[in-house]
Amino acid sequence: MEFLLYMGDVFTPINFGLLLLGTIGGLILGATPGLSPTMAVALLIPFTFQLEAAQGLILLGAAYTSTVAGGAVSAILLKIPGAPANIATTLDGHTMAQKGEGAKALQISFLASAVGGVFGVLLLIFLTPVLAQWALAFGPSHLFWLAILGVTVIGSLDSASVVKGLLSGCIGLWLATIGFDDIMGAQRFIFHPALGGGINIIAALIGLFAIPQVITMFAKGRRGDGAEVIAVQKHPISGAIRELLRNKRALGIGTATGSIIGLIPGVGGQIAGLVAYDQSKKFSPDREKFGTGHPEGVIAAESANNAMVGPSLVPLLTLSIPGSPTAAVLLGGLLIHGIFPGTDLFDNHPDVAWTFINSMLIGQVLMCIFGLYVAGLAARVAQVPQAVMAAIVLGLAVFGSYSVQSSMGDVYVMAALGVMMYFLERFGFSAAPLVLGLILGPIAEANFIQGSMIATATDGMAPYFFGGPLNILLIAVVIASILYSAWMELRSRRYTSKEEIIA
Amino acid sequence: MSAPSLPRLQHIIGSGVVAAVGIWVAYVSYTQQPAEAFLFPRLIASVFVVLALWTFAKACLGWTKVGTGITARQFTNLAPGLGVALVYIFWAAKGLGFYTATSIAFFILLSLYDPAPHGALKSWVKRVIITACFMAVMYGLFALLLKVYTPREVFF
Amino acid sequence: MKKLLAGAAMALMGLTTSAVADGHANYPDRPIMMMVSYGAGGATDFQARIVTMTSGNEDALGMPIAILNKPGAGGRVGWNWLASQAEADGYTLGAYNIPHFIAQSIKGGVEYSRDSFEPIANWGADPAVLVVGKDSEFNTLQDVVDFAKANPGKLTTSGAGLFVGHHIAALQMEKAGDMKMAYIPTKGGGAAAMKAVIAGDVMAGINNLSDAFRAAEAGNVKILAVADLERNAFLPDVPTMMESGLDVDNSSVNFRGIMVPKGTPQGIIDKLAATVPAMFENKRVAGKMKAGGSPMHIMTRDEVLEMWAAREETLKELLAGL
Repeated sequence: MEFLLYMGDVFTPINFGLLLLGTIGGLILGATPGLSPTMAVALLIPFTFQLEAAQGLILLGAAYTSTVAGGAVSAILLKIPGAPANIATTLDGHTMAQKGEGAKALQISFLASAVGGVFGVLLLIFLTPVLAQWALAFGPSHLFWLAILGVTVIGSLDSASVVKGLLSGCIGLWLATIGFDDIMGAQRFIFHPALGGGINIIAALIGLFAIPQVITMFAKGRRGDGAEVIAVQKHPISGAIRELLRNKRALGIGTATGSIIGLIPGVGGQIAGLVAYDQSKKFSPDREKFGTGHPEGVIAAESANNAMVGPSLVPLLTLSIPGSPTAAVLLGGLLIHGIFPGTDLFDNHPDVAWTFINSMLIGQVLMCIFGLYVAGLAARVAQVPQAVMAAIVLGLAVFGSYSVQSSMGDVYVMAALGVMMYFLERFGFSAAPLVLGLILGPIAEANFIQGSMIATATDGMAPYFFGGPLNILLIAVVIASILYSAWMELRSRRYTSKEEIIA
Repeated sequence: MSAPSLPRLQHIIGSGVVAAVGIWVAYVSYTQQPAEAFLFPRLIASVFVVLALWTFAKACLGWTKVGTGITARQFTNLAPGLGVALVYIFWAAKGLGFYTATSIAFFILLSLYDPAPHGALKSWVKRVIITACFMAVMYGLFALLLKVYTPREVFF
Repeated sequence: MKKLLAGAAMALMGLTTSAVADGHANYPDRPIMMMVSYGAGGATDFQARIVTMTSGNEDALGMPIAILNKPGAGGRVGWNWLASQAEADGYTLGAYNIPHFIAQSIKGGVEYSRDSFEPIANWGADPAVLVVGKDSEFNTLQDVVDFAKANPGKLTTSGAGLFVGHHIAALQMEKAGDMKMAYIPTKGGGAAAMKAVIAGDVMAGINNLSDAFRAAEAGNVKILAVADLERNAFLPDVPTMMESGLDVDNSSVNFRGIMVPKGTPQGIIDKLAATVPAMFENKRVAGKMKAGGSPMHIMTRDEVLEMWAAREETLKELLAGL
């Protein structure tokens, strides 16, 4: 209960002002395409040079929290996920916005984010020592199996065709190998100089989701085929709260998956949203509604990606190991004030540590309040005429992908992938499995190579990759996941063929 | 189902391209050195080729179930916009500077796709105003707030 | 289109020549960009942000330096970009890590060598240290050497990649001790390599002194030896490898500093070389670096040129057998 002692520090005028600034700034930065939470936090570091340690961290903590949630805004309204965490949000969120339910989608996404986020921070407060052990338990072999588990999601993520889903996943895995191989330093598949640095994941996300969207709008032509004006429905906040309570299962699955997977260094934050989405789909009686603008999908994805925020800081705060790129940037924010995370932080600077954690707790609530406040207004974006929208999204895509690394090469890659994706989509391939492959490929490869090096130096491949309870558990989950998908596929095939016979 | 319909031909071409890429990837993975660095690409490429050939075979037989292809109407609609977008991204953005190129591309795209009549002066004024507003927001966000230094060749 | 591009290039060159005429008196007249070839939050990135934070002051460059991260493949991605794609107009600087980029260029497969860059000044020197987990049975360097000799190729040792300072230190240890270790390069830099040691995935690790110092303060690892010529001020109790009987010199020490791509106008190089070392000496910079546990070591352009040449020679010799 030590954290309550320092609760007052959050509410001093300067600290609270910084908290507000971080939250609002974070929402705006998060909603900007191309700015991942890591970049947003890194951008704010120079401001913290002038501040005291606790104040600087309040600003960074609030910004981290709200950029993750802010990413949902562009994911829902523009179908541009701000970071890998928001991919799953586009699947149902953007379809809801297209149906005129943008306000509702934004409201439930902010509410779900806040519930997940508060739970994650509470875990950080009460269970840090336990979680630290859990985070360390994952060695290369376990991370490899975890990445494979992520890959099994690919097949069921795209309900249209399992073969094409897997093929999209393969294309993504291949795209991820382009560039320098990370361990050996060998060049792979660099057929154009812009690919020398590999494919930047943020630029790829923008291209794969935003550009097909733009071309689809072009394809509708000048007059637009049919009714184009979307009536944006007003949606009361109380309704959104009721909706959230109605979907306790998705909220629970999202929060739990997010906080468990978010903890694992290196992998968690990237796939928490997608895994949670997939799990709630599997457990939902309305699973066929997923992807068609179903609130459950938004709730699962958003509660997961904010639940990850608290636990993702556990390895940093206790062991001084940054578990994610964002945590690494926060580490910098601590170090410039001469504070070392670890025992030193909680023993000698409890005021800094707890004020920081408390500010994330309060930040979640503030983020939710602001988000709800602007949701109705922001949803009007759907009313912007097609032609204007297409041009805006194109412009944002170019500026966003350029700003990731100030590189023209990323803009070219973004555009090339985007145009390719538009045509692939016409032929039944979808972007989500492709992106998942792009994210998981490097994780699987690096951990496989590292694991096999350790294995050959020690007890051999088979015992290293297949031995130990955690490996066996993960393998069991992988097999269960594949069997479940295959079974669902067979069952649905029987259904469709029956319908075909009737038709 | 009518024999070689447009979507079916498109599916054959589309999946054919994917299969060709797959074969190229497999060829490169199995021939390039050092072999250790291509271990993982080999694994991916093998699965890639099998799945791609399967899809290609299905397309040739006309068994493809998902994907609508592109109608001629859609194609003529999207061609000018896509052309402008490609010139903008691959040449103008760098050649003319980001802000100049974006203003021009934005304005051309509005003129092409916005349903307001091309004859009336009012709709042109509206397009100019929208472009100016958008550029002001982009400049404020990227240049002033985020301090991204974008290529600037002409004007700003 | 080519012609237009060429025209634009000519126009640009015209601009640069006119700038040469006035002796770069106005340089810099807009913010400068500095490429860091490691991710945001890494040791190089963190230090680069601190040492450049005062560049906007009137007594320094008078213009801020913005950090641009281009991470990947142990720094190769960023340095390739700097050597082949960055504009050599004085507004694009790069951070260097020695021995990393020289070792990589000797090994080949990259588009840069020592001659592709012009050093400006050095800000830090971060020696490699040997760390083991806090519960490890190894307590001295001798324990580690004994184990490696008794079990050739069984001592798993993590480091931040191939042909970086950590790898060089491991190679030197193997050579000096006439032993075989299993060097495990990790993706994700020093932090991932340190995690592997703390979690017990590997038996030992070679890491940056600055990162290891923090981990040791937090009570997670034991630091057994420093790969440098003398003991470090941050760790007065930790012996050098030489003291412990392993003939490893300072070739693996990670020198960090600022450089520019070749072709940058000489006037700009001179101006930077004159102002940047003073900028590093700023009291606020030194204070923040010390607080963050990062050892500073300021060197001028001439000293760095000499150090680069010396490093290239020793590395060529060391890597010849690989």
